[in-house]
Amino acid sequence: MVVDLEMGEGSPKLFERKQAVYRTLDDRYEIHGEKYKGQQYSHIYFTRLHYMRNLLYSLISKWKPHVPVNTVLGLEEGKECIIVGTIYKHMKLKPSILDEYSKERSKVPLVKPHNFVHPDDHLILEDESGRVKLAGSLLDPSAFVTGIVVALHGHETSEGDFFVQDLLEAGLPPQIERPLSSGEDRYVVFVSGLNIGSNTFNPLQFQLLVDHITGYLGDETEQSIASQIVRLIIAGNSVQIQQGLLNGQTVAPRDQSTLTEPIKELDILLNQLAAAMPVDMMPGPNDPANFSLPQQPLNKCLFPGASAYNTFFSCTNPHQFELDDIQFLGTSGQNVHDLFKYSEANNKLEFMERTLRWRHLVPTAPNTLGCYPFTDRDPFLIESCPHVYFAGNQDKYETTLVPGPEKQLVRLICIPKFCETGIAVMLNLRNLECHALGFSTCLDA
Amino acid sequence: MNGGSAKRRGGVPPSNPSKRFQPGNKNPQPQPQQQPPRDGVAAEDEMMDEDVFLEDTLYEADEEALLLLRDEALSSRLCKWRRPALSPSYLSGSESIVFQQLEIDYVIGESHKELLPSLSGPSAILRVFGVTREGHSVCCHVHGFEPYFYISCPVGMGPDDISRFHQTLEGRMRESNRNNNVPRFVKRIELMQKKSIMYYQKNQSQSFLKIVVALPTMVASCRGILERGITIEGLGSKSFITYESNILFALRFMIDCNIVGGNWIEVPAGKYRKVTKSMSYCQLELDCLYSELISHAPEGEYSKMAPFRILSFDIECAGRKGLFPEPTHDPVIQIANLVTLQGDDHPLIRNVMTLKSCAPIVGVDVMSFDTEREVLIAWRDLIREVDPDIIIGYNICKFDLPYLIERAEALKIAEFPILGRIRNSRVRVRDTTFSSRQYGMRESKEVTVEGRVQFDLLQVMQRDYKLSSYSLNSVSAHFLGEQKEDVHHSIISDLQNGNSETRRRLAVYCLKDAYLPQRLLDKLMFIYNYVEMARVTGVPLSFLLSRGQSIKVLSQLLRKAKQRNLVIPNIKGQVSGQETFEGATVLEAKTGFYEKPIATLDFASLYPSIMMAYNLCYCTLVTAEDARRLNLPAESVNKTPSGEVFVKSELQKGILPEILEELLAARKRAKADLKEAKDPFEKAVLDGRQLALKISANSVYGFTGATIGQLPCLEISSSVTSYGRQMIEHTKKLVEEKFTVSGGYDHNAEIVYGDTDSVMVQFGVPTVEAAMKLGREASEYITGTFIKPIRLEFEKVYFPYLLISKKRYAGLYWTKPDTFDKMDTKGIETVRRDNCLLVKNLVNECLHKILIDRDVPGAVQYVKNTISDLLMNRMDLSLLVITKGLTKTGDDYSVKAAHVELAERMRKRDAATAPNVGDRVPYVIIKAAKGAKAYEKSEDPIYVLENNIPIDPQYYLENQISKPLLRIFEPILKNASKELLHGSHTRSVSISTPTNSGIMKFAKKQLSCLGCKAVISNAEQTLCSHCKGREAEIYCKTVANVSELEMLFGRLWTQCQECQGSLHQDVLCTSRDCPIFYRRKKAQKDMAEAKVHLDRWSF
Repeated sequence: MVVDLEMGEGSPKLFERKQAVYRTLDDRYEIHGEKYKGQQYSHIYFTRLHYMRNLLYSLISKWKPHVPVNTVLGLEEGKECIIVGTIYKHMKLKPSILDEYSKERSKVPLVKPHNFVHPDDHLILEDESGRVKLAGSLLDPSAFVTGIVVALHGHETSEGDFFVQDLLEAGLPPQIERPLSSGEDRYVVFVSGLNIGSNTFNPLQFQLLVDHITGYLGDETEQSIASQIVRLIIAGNSVQIQQGLLNGQTVAPRDQSTLTEPIKELDILLNQLAAAMPVDMMPGPNDPANFSLPQQPLNKCLFPGASAYNTFFSCTNPHQFELDDIQFLGTSGQNVHDLFKYSEANNKLEFMERTLRWRHLVPTAPNTLGCYPFTDRDPFLIESCPHVYFAGNQDKYETTLVPGPEKQLVRLICIPKFCETGIAVMLNLRNLECHALGFSTCLDA
Repeated sequence: MNGGSAKRRGGVPPSNPSKRFQPGNKNPQPQPQQQPPRDGVAAEDEMMDEDVFLEDTLYEADEEALLLLRDEALSSRLCKWRRPALSPSYLSGSESIVFQQLEIDYVIGESHKELLPSLSGPSAILRVFGVTREGHSVCCHVHGFEPYFYISCPVGMGPDDISRFHQTLEGRMRESNRNNNVPRFVKRIELMQKKSIMYYQKNQSQSFLKIVVALPTMVASCRGILERGITIEGLGSKSFITYESNILFALRFMIDCNIVGGNWIEVPAGKYRKVTKSMSYCQLELDCLYSELISHAPEGEYSKMAPFRILSFDIECAGRKGLFPEPTHDPVIQIANLVTLQGDDHPLIRNVMTLKSCAPIVGVDVMSFDTEREVLIAWRDLIREVDPDIIIGYNICKFDLPYLIERAEALKIAEFPILGRIRNSRVRVRDTTFSSRQYGMRESKEVTVEGRVQFDLLQVMQRDYKLSSYSLNSVSAHFLGEQKEDVHHSIISDLQNGNSETRRRLAVYCLKDAYLPQRLLDKLMFIYNYVEMARVTGVPLSFLLSRGQSIKVLSQLLRKAKQRNLVIPNIKGQVSGQETFEGATVLEAKTGFYEKPIATLDFASLYPSIMMAYNLCYCTLVTAEDARRLNLPAESVNKTPSGEVFVKSELQKGILPEILEELLAARKRAKADLKEAKDPFEKAVLDGRQLALKISANSVYGFTGATIGQLPCLEISSSVTSYGRQMIEHTKKLVEEKFTVSGGYDHNAEIVYGDTDSVMVQFGVPTVEAAMKLGREASEYITGTFIKPIRLEFEKVYFPYLLISKKRYAGLYWTKPDTFDKMDTKGIETVRRDNCLLVKNLVNECLHKILIDRDVPGAVQYVKNTISDLLMNRMDLSLLVITKGLTKTGDDYSVKAAHVELAERMRKRDAATAPNVGDRVPYVIIKAAKGAKAYEKSEDPIYVLENNIPIDPQYYLENQISKPLLRIFEPILKNASKELLHGSHTRSVSISTPTNSGIMKFAKKQLSCLGCKAVISNAEQTLCSHCKGREAEIYCKTVANVSELEMLFGRLWTQCQECQGSLHQDVLCTSRDCPIFYRRKKAQKDMAEAKVHLDRWSF
């Protein structure tokens, strides 16, 4: 792809946009043929437990080979053993749909807290055979959520609880070795939370980003860097459609345009981007897509302009792909948000790291995060460790490199909301280094 | 009542082989004494003693069961269940036995030779069952107490006359009790000086005859003879009024020994003998004389509770498809048990007995058996070894217990029904009807389990709470805040026929059903409250559930009368039923919406205080005749507004006022102690006590007014209400006279409404604080004009206040000037059963908006939106479900009712899932052909969902929501009906197309444009050419719909997983009481449809 630069007078230097080999791995998140036929969520937990248990069993033989492994039902009081099961966190403050029916209306409308963790929360371990309450101070309930599968070493107390002495998590999955770098810098740009149509969206700011990465701005150095961008990933929440217009009632003709205006605007911008480079478009919680994970690709009829380009890719969320054999995995942020609501950590990166160690992208689905009721698989299991793992729509830009015990190395990225921070993230494929790309329209900045 | 009831034990006393008694099994007439039917006897509190004879076979056959303990598992299990072992001092009999008694009954046996050497022949032996402080079970046989009653002694009767009378009576008794061979029927007749409780009498006392008979049932038979008339030599034929002849023998004993229900009894060391041959399964079994018992008043150390064992259980039966389980056919497949020591948080024993294998459950002892016989026998062993004092459960009296017993009978397991504490004594089942003015008529089964109290939580709930549904699910949702998984009985057989895992599933469910009654018992503190009630009113614990209110008052009256040497005549049967009297007044309600504070002045315990203030009692009432004859000075009598005359307390203090004073004083003490108390158990006891005292005080008035009760006295009750009316009028007058502008106040006060014991005043002041000040002032001022202890109290202010009509109002309730406490409503559709949830929600939300948000336009808008949603078919179906109980089959109903017809129709569709008698039938009203009868328009909500059947919004609008809404809005809005029910929002209507109707079978389905519904020919297309430009917009709407449904789907189904307590198992629950049940079903179906819709866009 050639970036055609006609920058004023003088002999224009031509930069050729670098390329990378792209392979999508989204098929595992597609739910094409599947239908709602009365299936429930038990299957997804069942397959999750089944997969994770096999994995943990193989690890236990190295971890504590002499301790017998048991099921929840087979527990005998006082006998030390290892049990494997799904964690269920009993939460006092967890909102329930039944509250809508409670007789007493509270005087003050419920303030929606951002976090439902309470000191009285406790953990329960469940396998197909039964449940047991976990005791002991080893596990801090605030760091765990419902839906993760772990192995626990301990014994049953006289009260019938399981006293936990040690914990084994699956840990980082094995990683495909990162291919030797070709030595040249090539970049992937991540952006999320454009929120076109909301009052925080600044059209000029985004236009600056578009112009910058497509190479319409800056001097030759900058243009040369721009030409090294091989792909743009838009990680969710690109538009915001006025609520209330979508409540099922007929929309008055004059509102029809307000409804689609943001989408049209997005299409124009995507048009410019797709003309210059490959663009991956992921749906987010606010986008006109389904709600449950995995979110299916945004329909191309929404983007009549951009979808004319073969460089425009409408993807699923979560999104998984390969660029020159480098593995990418990411979401529009729902998984991290939900962990933030139902557990605690020092920062968002820690949540991301946990999901890797638990080998599950969205452990809280389906419990607190909507999810399609799969019957034969759990697509969110992380079977192999990505090299780059990202989450969109975060409050601020954060990144870190996480090393694993088997020489794994993962770049974690929290992509901030662009409309609030004006920050996009650039990742160098050569060394997985990462930096923020800030755009400000304030004159004094 | 006869033959069928398992077995009436007539028996031969071991020492007396001459068979003076006819053994029951050889006697074609099983009842030893047939009582002549008495006319006009109220079903309520019909009290009849029933003599049960001891049987000598009692002592055999039992030991063999214990010899069979070869099975080690069984013996280890049994010893786990056993009560703590006795200490040596108990074993040697050197210790006084102090125990809390819970149950008292009696049997007929041979008099105790050592304790009563002078007596011989059969006599009544009382059995007092209880628990010691250490948790040992006690069975105390009390000897020597004799049944008796009184008659008034005819004037001029000398000792010779009495002995002649004795002989005549003895002869008459022998005639009417031919098959009863006691040596003496009438043991003795004593002349005593007593006084009747009825009417004021100047003279101190008169002569009465105390007639002592041999056996308790003879009281009734003797009473009959005397009431019908008897010819006495020298005196001629005479009929007598009998006194205290209708008291159950056990209660008589309790009264005479000062024993109140659930108190502590001490049998001092050396005063009792250990039985030589134990007749019961109790650890301590002793004989003693009734005079040696020490009854401790429930105070201090003796107010505590013994650690009784409470067994909570539930059974599961495998019914056949479409039929409710019947003991003659359907096996008992599981029994879950939970044994808790009173006062403990955690159960002592948790187990489940299953038929066929069952996978283990954490923390639960799972016992699997191959045959049903083993299951039942295991349960019997559990009862025998655990030896529970109280058996609880949900609907156990009507279902579980009779089912087990009838099932054992069907399986011919003769050794099963020995569940009581008496060795080899079989449990008896009989049908009873309980009817009471307060609780209505109820059919039930009575299962006698000797020595153990049955406490059926369902009965308690129905007695103590007004709820829209009494299913265990909705009761636990209401009180414990948790939904219970409900497995439909048609699935139970499938689970049972599966594998050990599915049976485990069932066991978990069964255990939960055994656990919830225990939780309810703890949470609502029923043990404390009921034991306290028994102590306060003096009746045994079991009376509280099986009998009405009046026995409690009677028990107190008898105790009090005994102290004063008064006797109570047996004068019931004046069932004219016509004698009614004017009830309480209600001051006319000035309906409206008051935006100024309304102060409420309440009379504290109005009726009890009136009775105390004016000394109203049986023994202070002066008959019109006596009033003339006695010529009492006017200053020493009160003439009530209803025209009756009562003497003042200087002449004669009334018994009822005294009882009331004691009750209220005790309540005051209990409340004061409650404030001091720190220990939560102590608090619970005290709170239970003060509540029991309050209820008891209020039931005294009802006792005097119950025309079919034990001792009705309409003179008293009509006087009480007439005073009450007078006081309300008086209060109104005083308030409106004093609080006026001319009286120096800022505004004229106005009485807006007054009910039985309260008056609502608008003082005209704008702030709550000012209203409170004036309210207090008014209450003090007016109280000063009344006789003590009548007191007008100021408690609360309503602001704002919506007065709809008499007995219907709503308002914010303030007790302190800064914030309101709650929203209070009376008589407004919030809990009524026959209303759908929509009404309740709508009314609540409107009141909330009007009263709290003070936003009338908002409320109006909300109503309009709701009505529009209803008409546009956007309503959540679960809000429209109406539920009614199916009490009998269709043929038995004389009028056709919607739910009955529906049950019939559902049976035709699928007999397996159709509701049975006893189930609650949920239904919605659907659109039907014009002129269809209302009962034809009912339909099963699930069927409606599955087939897209349109509901009838007009029905809901007119028959459900319009009345309650208009009631609320009429005082506020001018044209409420027009504005709310006929506005422009009612113009657009949307009706769904049914998928199953006849005509639809002929319809051809064609794809239509998703934008404008125009028919499109090409199946590839989603939109018509006209709508093509609006693609993005229409897509957004489709996907938004999907997204909303997905969110709902996830929340609903994960909630159900939460309730069932498992992530890895499918949700089975079909609880139609659960508010989200229909929503969950609907979400599933809508989701599938929306997904198909969305898939049309796939590219």
